[in-house]
Amino acid sequence: MDSALVLILLSALRVSLPLLFAATGGYFSEKSGVAQIALEAYLLIGAFTAASFTYYSKSLVVGYLAAAVFTALFSQIFSLLILKFKGNSIVIGTGLNLLAMGIIPIISKTIFNSTGSTPSIELPEASPYFPYIVLVLTLAVSFWLSEKTIWGLQMKFAGEKKLALQSVGISPSLRQWQSLTYSAFVTGLGGAVLSTSLSSNYSPLMSSGRGFIALAALIFAGWNLPRSLIVCLFFGLCEALQIQMQSNEAISTYIAAEFIQMIPYAATLAALLVLRSKYPPAELK
Amino acid sequence: MNRNIFNLTRLAPWLGLIGGLVLCCLLALFFHESPWHVFKILTTSFYNSKFDLGLTLFYTTCLIFAGLSFAVPMKAGLFHIGSEGQILFSALIGAYLGTAIVPFDNPFSFIIATAIIILSTLAAGAASALLIAAFKIFKQAHEVVVAIMLNFIFAAITTWLTVNRLQSPTSQNPETALINESFQFLKNDYLKTYFENSPVSVFLFAALGCCMILHFVERKTFIGYKIRAYGANPHAAARLGFTQNEILMISLGMAGVFSAGVGLTEVFGNTFQYKIGFSPQYGFLGIAVSLLAQQNFLGIIGSAFLMACLHKGASDLDLETEHLTRDFSRVLQAIIIFSVAASYYLAQHFAGRKRKS
Repeated sequence: MDSALVLILLSALRVSLPLLFAATGGYFSEKSGVAQIALEAYLLIGAFTAASFTYYSKSLVVGYLAAAVFTALFSQIFSLLILKFKGNSIVIGTGLNLLAMGIIPIISKTIFNSTGSTPSIELPEASPYFPYIVLVLTLAVSFWLSEKTIWGLQMKFAGEKKLALQSVGISPSLRQWQSLTYSAFVTGLGGAVLSTSLSSNYSPLMSSGRGFIALAALIFAGWNLPRSLIVCLFFGLCEALQIQMQSNEAISTYIAAEFIQMIPYAATLAALLVLRSKYPPAELK
Repeated sequence: MNRNIFNLTRLAPWLGLIGGLVLCCLLALFFHESPWHVFKILTTSFYNSKFDLGLTLFYTTCLIFAGLSFAVPMKAGLFHIGSEGQILFSALIGAYLGTAIVPFDNPFSFIIATAIIILSTLAAGAASALLIAAFKIFKQAHEVVVAIMLNFIFAAITTWLTVNRLQSPTSQNPETALINESFQFLKNDYLKTYFENSPVSVFLFAALGCCMILHFVERKTFIGYKIRAYGANPHAAARLGFTQNEILMISLGMAGVFSAGVGLTEVFGNTFQYKIGFSPQYGFLGIAVSLLAQQNFLGIIGSAFLMACLHKGASDLDLETEHLTRDFSRVLQAIIIFSVAASYYLAQHFAGRKRKS
């Protein structure tokens, strides 16, 4: 096979890592009946936490764990407002995105005295395979949780038929809360990949719509986890193409950088045009 | 008794706003700032000078338009967060037409030219919003995802056009050339002179007028009834013969027109050119404005002014405090959105308990 093609495919896998995490996170939230548009905020919080913790502890494991835990803590705002105060999940999700965009520069200014990027992380001995190991573990646990356990079944019932769940004496809100927290936990890992593996620091708004792209992937896949991961890989391919095209001089003189950067978003819209979600997104109300 | 409950739920978002403000100021404690100091800056910096008040009124104008652009589709049950992209796109179209069209030296030609520019800017806004409607009608795509993708795409397109095609030859900054001098007629209007040349312009009255007209349209006309009926119950509205497509086109088209209003205010009332990054995300500020007013078109005037004051205050935090930056404006919006959302439940809960006892 052509080495350029292999290179693109490998880089596609690499850049689709955050999408895969975010889609897995989104899956748990959507399946439990809560529309999740705050994935973007979770990615940002995860990315920032991982970058700062890895910078101080010099350990990727600590960074990843901190990202997941802090994102899960951050998501408690979402759970509280949705489950306790019965807020509209789209409204709260938008608010959460704004909160993440606003609070990170202020925290960053307090810790690092700069509103922009965090200082870059130097980890010479870090393994490049670490994010893949985490991904495989996460996917395995997620699949097992949602398909093989009674918890997964109850979580889906919380989304589809609350009454059935109540009739066996289990609170749907409890399952939704657990599922929302797990969703944030996983998406936070995606954020950690974004800032520690795909780049070496946190830069402002680095998630650049990946949360929404992951949500779009879930919609195309008809809320099916394995299928949505394949769609994520496709979006990752578009992004890898974009990066390759930008670094290729012959192409970048003909096509402006702005148009090349547009590829992932345009591909999302094109996919929305071509594919049609089989099941109406009942959760997205 | 009934009246009491009604009042409480009606007041809920305003109580939520106060709660949100208090929370925000307490949040300042984490960043080693005095909450009272932050509160004072947030709430008083809008009338430091006539210029500051004018700037706040300019923000109010933009926020009214942005709030309307969110509120109208919300009446039909649509969550429209694409107005940021529409604002950028329509502002660029306005700035381009302002430089490209040169009127002859008589009042008639001038009026025609102005009308053409304003109408095509509004049409550009409407067209960009109708894209969302098209995706929803033909592919049942969710409007939030489509709108976010379009925001990114419009931002990329407008940046490319500005830098590569319309860049002002006399400027180092990424911005277009100034619009034709005859179109800069708002440079010396009464409001601007009164407020010491601040960005405010007569578009403020246009925005106020739009709110009043919409209030009338919503309550007294058939089209307002249709949109409200669809928002309240799509199935019942379908039985009455109001199709989804029609409602989507009307409400999103209107939303696009109001987004274009923000663009017009900026290009024809403030800078007379298109500058990259001119909008401090009016589209998202509009969401908070509209939620605070519970989508009441007259209430939007008040909530837009309030948010404008807070936004002005937040942008002064940069200078006045050590750790807080202008990003605090976003935190403020978020917390206000949260506390307003929670306040409905609390008000209902409280009212329900009262009724029981």
